[in-house]
Amino acid sequence: MRPLTPQRILATCLGLCGVLFVVAVISLRMGAYPISVRDIVSTLFNAAAGRRDEVPVEFWQVVFGLRLPRIALGILVGASLSTAGAGFQALLRNPLADPYVLGVSSGAALGAIVSLIVAPHTVGAIQIAAFIGAASTIAAVYFLGRRGGQLDSPTLLLAGIVAASFLSAIIMFLLTMVTGSELRSIAFWLMGDLTAPPPTTNVVGWLGFLFFVFIVAAGAMYTTSSDLNLILTGEQEAKHLGVNVNRVKFVVYIAASVLTGLAVSVSGAIGYVGLLVPHVMRMLFGTDYRMLIPTAAIGGAIAIVLADTLARTVVAPTELPVGAMTALAGAPVFIYLMRRRMR
Amino acid sequence: MWRDASLYSRGFFIGRELTRAARIFVLISFALGVCAASHAETRPSEGSPRPAGGPYKGADAGSSQAPAYKRGMKFVTDETGRRMAIPFSVQHIVTLAPDLTETVYALGLEDKLAGDTSFCDMPPAAKLKPHVGSPQTPNLEAIVAMHPDLVLATTSINRAETADALLRLGIPVYTSDPHTVRGMLESIARMADLMGANERGTALVAQLQARLDAVHARIAELPLMHVLFVVWEDPLITIGQNTFIADALRWAGAESVIVANQNWPQVSMEEIVRLQPEYILFTENHAEANDDSELNRLRTQPAWKALKAIQMGRVVRVDDEITKPSPGLVGAIEQIAHELHREAFSSAARENIFEREAGLKMEVFANIRQKECDFCGL
Repeated sequence: MRPLTPQRILATCLGLCGVLFVVAVISLRMGAYPISVRDIVSTLFNAAAGRRDEVPVEFWQVVFGLRLPRIALGILVGASLSTAGAGFQALLRNPLADPYVLGVSSGAALGAIVSLIVAPHTVGAIQIAAFIGAASTIAAVYFLGRRGGQLDSPTLLLAGIVAASFLSAIIMFLLTMVTGSELRSIAFWLMGDLTAPPPTTNVVGWLGFLFFVFIVAAGAMYTTSSDLNLILTGEQEAKHLGVNVNRVKFVVYIAASVLTGLAVSVSGAIGYVGLLVPHVMRMLFGTDYRMLIPTAAIGGAIAIVLADTLARTVVAPTELPVGAMTALAGAPVFIYLMRRRMR
Repeated sequence: MWRDASLYSRGFFIGRELTRAARIFVLISFALGVCAASHAETRPSEGSPRPAGGPYKGADAGSSQAPAYKRGMKFVTDETGRRMAIPFSVQHIVTLAPDLTETVYALGLEDKLAGDTSFCDMPPAAKLKPHVGSPQTPNLEAIVAMHPDLVLATTSINRAETADALLRLGIPVYTSDPHTVRGMLESIARMADLMGANERGTALVAQLQARLDAVHARIAELPLMHVLFVVWEDPLITIGQNTFIADALRWAGAESVIVANQNWPQVSMEEIVRLQPEYILFTENHAEANDDSELNRLRTQPAWKALKAIQMGRVVRVDDEITKPSPGLVGAIEQIAHELHREAFSSAARENIFEREAGLKMEVFANIRQKECDFCGL
């Protein structure tokens, strides 16, 4: 095996960023309103030269009001879910772990539904309540998942599964109290939806804030990556090699939870990305976490942008929820890769 | 594959290096994040960022920087409390629900209708308009491409997110929120006013109100019929008391046997057998081709055949219009009233009411025609 050098990590990430850029440009072109690459370039040129009046209003609305924010949100959500998935998989030493198995998405969904019952017409209430729901579920599962003061992986996984089914039962009960128009918002949110507008008119500031949170959480997780490699060989071995296992687990747990809360609060429950993308990246680039965390982040971004582009074009002018698209495309890809690997 | 982490001594060293690099990266990104946030805060004050003339920043209509709407715009608060600027002369309308499309046609404004949804089938001509997708998942880009100066939405089928997203783009979205028949009429009048068809709106509402009053005059003294309105048969879903369908039933001299705060409650068949409704109401698209086959089918169903209404053949297929808060709703109310209170509309009385209705319609149309002539200067 070739040694893993920073140069190699950097080169791989740059390559993947190139793929992401191409996918983003394709996504920017596709849609009900026809746009060519030349249009985009000339618009950017006009905008840079301060001649916005020469750009048609609809063009401006579609590119800067709809598509770019949506692509940015897709990159953020995909990167967050996928990084969180990689983190949870290492933490629990279980290849099936992802944000949804741990009950985090159910907690977020419960928060969203409570907000729709309490304050139905407040913009942004869903996101905030979903984040609170995700965070409190994470805290509850964390405390339930400890045994003898230590974070015990099987107990944590069981606690997550129990929490998920308990919260789902509460959701079913609450749904009987919700009237028609709120129910529609919840249904779309539960399927995963990138179309919801941000809670503020300052879209650039909002996205900047979200990216800032992402980079802090993903960066924190990255600082533990070489320790995670050792923990994966066995916790006792890692301890003997001088790794502070509890500290690493705590950092990864908090970082992965923040990333999940972030993604779920802006886009609802998008499945499969957190589970699938880290595995694909392991198959492609190896299991070293110093390589896996950045590649999973970029790979997740590519996956969501691609899925969302398909979701908005395959049955145009109607749009599919992006969560339906990831499940539809994700399951067969996963089975194919798994079978090929087993041979 | 799962546990083959292979790097120890050398990997450790590189790992430490990378850890340091990651910390620096975090610091830089923090700085960038702060920059982005502060830049974004200053941005709205950088002069007028949008081409003049377009209703660009409708969402912030209340703010002081309003040079774009000095001319040709009016401020409106819709039925959900959203504020927006709408041009005095609306030219391109997009409707996001079948009932709104019907209203636009009833007001004779179909020439200004730039697009509707793939659900819009009444009147049939509405099917030929360009579609923007389904009411719940319309394609925002398709709407923008039609450059509408007014989008009509309703809380009864659209999602709040759609209206919010369009308002963010500066496209005014008027969302109607009718819960009663009277609320529906008021909503029609308001939308007509927005679309510059004030006169026609008033005439249409007056005509619809007169038809409702005519029905009311017939059945006001009669006791309400207790009915079961079937939204879905299996599982059995009916209407709640706060829906406009429940209100429409009251106008038609009927009352749902189920009292529920939910809009579309699922109820048990046992409860229905206990309550024994006097009539069972189905909508047309749900029911079988004709009354008899529907009735025969229900007579074979174990729980349904225990209902006296089924045994006595008291099943009514209601016009689909009952499900939409649109002008056609009044026709459905008339139909239900006639079916449930036949004695009040007995032959002599019936002729009379039809005559009156016909006369009224003629009068209204003459009125509209007169007004149109006033406009074109004849």
